[in-house]
Amino acid sequence: MIRVEDIQKHFGALHVLRGITFDVQKAEAIVIIGPSGSGKSTLLRCINLLVEPDSGKVFIDGVHVNRHGIRHEWVRQQVGMVFQSFNLFTHLTAIENVTLGLTRVKGIPHDQAIEKARKLLARVGLAAKENAYPAELSGGQQQRVAIARALAMDPKAMLFDEPTSALDPEYIREVLDVMAALAREGMTMIVVTHEMGFASNVASRILFMDAGKIIEEGTAEDIFQNPKEDRTRSFVSKILR
Amino acid sequence: MTNWRKFLRDRWRYFDAALALAVIIGSLVYIYDLLVGNRGLDVAYITRNYPLYLHAVFNVYATTIAFVVGMALGFSVGWLRTARTVSVAKFAASMRVEKRERQEAPSGSEVTRRLLVVLSLLWYGTKYVVRRIGDGFVEIIRGTPLYVQILFASSFFIVFLPQYASEGILIGIIALAINTGGYQAEIFRAGLQTVHSGQVEAARAIGFSRLKAMRYVILPQALRLIIPPLTNEYIGLFKASTLLFVLGVQGEISYIAQHEGFAGDVFEIFAIVTVIFLAITVTLSFVVQALERRFRIPGLGIEQVKLPRGVRLARVGG
Repeated sequence: MIRVEDIQKHFGALHVLRGITFDVQKAEAIVIIGPSGSGKSTLLRCINLLVEPDSGKVFIDGVHVNRHGIRHEWVRQQVGMVFQSFNLFTHLTAIENVTLGLTRVKGIPHDQAIEKARKLLARVGLAAKENAYPAELSGGQQQRVAIARALAMDPKAMLFDEPTSALDPEYIREVLDVMAALAREGMTMIVVTHEMGFASNVASRILFMDAGKIIEEGTAEDIFQNPKEDRTRSFVSKILR
Repeated sequence: MTNWRKFLRDRWRYFDAALALAVIIGSLVYIYDLLVGNRGLDVAYITRNYPLYLHAVFNVYATTIAFVVGMALGFSVGWLRTARTVSVAKFAASMRVEKRERQEAPSGSEVTRRLLVVLSLLWYGTKYVVRRIGDGFVEIIRGTPLYVQILFASSFFIVFLPQYASEGILIGIIALAINTGGYQAEIFRAGLQTVHSGQVEAARAIGFSRLKAMRYVILPQALRLIIPPLTNEYIGLFKASTLLFVLGVQGEISYIAQHEGFAGDVFEIFAIVTVIFLAITVTLSFVVQALERRFRIPGLGIEQVKLPRGVRLARVGG
């Protein structure tokens, strides 16, 4: 579904990604862990081309997307993204946040868009909040609207960039539940998170990244119980404590 | 008893406005009384000069056209000024990286590599130059008096486009538009930069192009933020439009200059002119306040506290 081949990225003189290669199968949920500054967010942004990789190839559903002649706007519609700080459009209600992309990017008529948005909001458990503005919602509710907004574009895969790390502990559960349900329904997902419970229950594989490279890859058991690399071991021991 | 209290609470905004007006007009009357009270008000003189008061319409007209044109100019320049330019040092650093990589792992032909370097240099160079032109424009407009700018525009037309040199209104409106464009560029830049970068990222992530993200996500938020400074700018421009009298344009002040020559018994006229300008600007600020309430985003910023019917705030210390 998603394939990344030898991606390199520099920000000025800073070498952020140093040759990343991995594969994500359809309906697979992958969790990426790693210390801050290891390039996890940049990697996600390289997949939907919010950040253009310097070299290397990104394939989405078999299509090589980071080459000339492919519109970035089209690529981004294929892959939904959820951000750490939600980034809901503050001037629009919950339902307008979901419909904006449908009506303005996909050109779907307004009433059909509304209908679809209602279904999606119901799916993330927010049917009652459709007319609330983001500032009137809790963090967990905002993040769930953000998930509905990304799903509205019918993405082939979803990218989650630390979706729960800006939330109060009491709201983390509801967002993770929505994500776990998505994974059960067969959505292809790449999740950057440090929620170890989510990683071990939902993830089919875990990648450990450090300093712009994938250090280790394996099931939750491999990574958490018997890490092979020293760096993985020291990182896991810090976050599992 | 309770009825008039309720009436007062519901209509407080209007009483508030009336009170503000009363204070303003009262002060003017007091000043008038101080200056000409003892010699009496020359009503005939005031009514004889009624065409003067109609000339305020011209000021509104000129200001509005200049303001709208300046808005387009200001938005363009303001947007331009949010463009990121790459510093020479950073560009050189990325070029060094690229050169090292080329030596380590040669790929592609040498010619295409060179071409890419030249193209990126051109792209960043153009961006840099265009942005600096925008910066220069704002600095020039902001750093020179409007009076000088109007005279400059007038002399420009006399020298280079003499066939239009007698079109005082045209020249005046162009001068005002360019002037307000410079100020509005700064207002727009501030507004656009205040919208959180995550908003653009989110819009781009669901497939919006840069232009559409600007139209549907950034501008609606930025415009709400800049309503107050834009109003300020409009009022400032409206007042500044009186300066057009130097072009012989039929505005408030030119009429006085022509008919009264700024000499003698013109206090009454300036008092009336003051009141006319005040009435227009005060009306405008009330309209804008209503606009701001209408477009406020629920849950953001400071909200006027509205109590449900029958609920009263507890009296503190009473």
